[in-house]
Amino acid sequence: MSNKKKRYAMLVDLRKCIGCNACVVACKSENDVPLGVWRSWVKKVEKGQYPDSKEFFLPVVCNNCDKPICVTVCPVNAGIKRPDGIVYIDPHRCIGCRYCMASCPYGVRYINPRKKIAEKCYWCHHRVDAGLKPACVLVCPTGAMIFGDLNDPRSDIAKAVATNAVQVIKPDMGTDPQTFYIGLEQAAVEAKKIKEE
Amino acid sequence: MDTQVIYNIFHQDAFGFNIAMYIYLTGVSAGSFILSTLAYGFGLSQYKPLGKVGVVVATIVLIIAPLFLLFHVGTPYRAWHLFIYLNMASPITWGSFLLILYPINCIIYGYFMFKENMKLTRIFGLIGIPLAVSVHGYTGFILAFGKARALWNTALMPILFLVSAVISGIALMILVFIIKERFFSKERKIDRELVFGLGKLLAWMIVFDLFLVACDLIVLSISHSDAQAAAHLLLQGKFSFLFLVVENLLGKIVPFFLLIVPRLRTLATTIVASILVVIGIFFMRYVVVLAGEFIPLL
Repeated sequence: MSNKKKRYAMLVDLRKCIGCNACVVACKSENDVPLGVWRSWVKKVEKGQYPDSKEFFLPVVCNNCDKPICVTVCPVNAGIKRPDGIVYIDPHRCIGCRYCMASCPYGVRYINPRKKIAEKCYWCHHRVDAGLKPACVLVCPTGAMIFGDLNDPRSDIAKAVATNAVQVIKPDMGTDPQTFYIGLEQAAVEAKKIKEE
Repeated sequence: MDTQVIYNIFHQDAFGFNIAMYIYLTGVSAGSFILSTLAYGFGLSQYKPLGKVGVVVATIVLIIAPLFLLFHVGTPYRAWHLFIYLNMASPITWGSFLLILYPINCIIYGYFMFKENMKLTRIFGLIGIPLAVSVHGYTGFILAFGKARALWNTALMPILFLVSAVISGIALMILVFIIKERFFSKERKIDRELVFGLGKLLAWMIVFDLFLVACDLIVLSISHSDAQAAAHLLLQGKFSFLFLVVENLLGKIVPFFLLIVPRLRTLATTIVASILVVIGIFFMRYVVVLAGEFIPLL
């Protein structure tokens, strides 16, 4: 066993993702996420002309960045980065000023329509602390999602990150994201859908 | 290569009309305050009639402005958290103290001005200038810290905000001064020389503002892909009418010519130009805040 402190991370193997949305459903149910907002979602982008086309899936969860801008800008210190790397929001402290939503480069935060405070994915830290996997990882039928301690060299995630070419979303933002992807299609990140009138 | 989004969620807007309005009002307040200190802080005696009007407008507007923040935040009854759980890295924390100190200083400064205590007026006027600059400048940092939004994330943002704040402050000051002299003064006569002097000052500040906006746009349209998308949104996209016509043509270029061409310079055109500027700068705030968060991030 390594004595180093923990650094949780997530890896999504997009070659195995079938876009079934089981992770989205599990997340909604586990975290009691209200209608109209999502802690995790699967963005779907089609590239090319049918029949020579392929649909690319991008399951998005919070990156729980190593240098989280949301924690930097929170005026009441409600955004907290734990020593094991999980970034969470203290629900009793958040005033709902939406500054973290404005600054997050990944758009993973939302205002809970009932509580009027900011919420986001925190890798189900209540489950992780109890020794369980996050809900989305648990239900993924193809095993595309791996969660674990990056600092433990014998963990599944450390082996997978070490032996594969991994990417993160928007590395240029300087936030050092900790949700890694295998086979990330750049078009799936960059394609934008602009809100209709 | 053809790419098409088959499914994605819609994100909530982070900021919106309330924040645009808040930024506009703090700008008007800072601009009015700086004008009022020209006579009482720096001894430019031709601007003396503006001193009292300026400080009254600055104080009233700055008491209204934070109300829009309370409408904006989800849980306004937790606003006291801002003064207990400090995060010195966050511009909002800087702002929560500035929003307390600046109006208090305005009230003290105004009190001594109405008491005709020139020495203390001067001291509190000079203390107030950095406060007025910060109380508006920090809103520029709020937007600039949104690092994924190309329109916001520029070091030009605080200075751009300050220059447009001074413009909106001068324009509102011209209007309030004319109304005050016309209806509430003993002589019922307007000091035309002062109004036209302010008009000239306004015109040259507009030129500086246009220069800054042009700098911002030129760099945006050459920079990385998100920045180009933001420039496109302003020049040809959904916000092009508000940005080009309302903000820049009606709000800056037309008033500039109304104020600077000697043949057009009458009291009426100065009033029209000031009204146009006051509206135009509001739409500047609106476009910056709303267009900045219009393009989804993921």
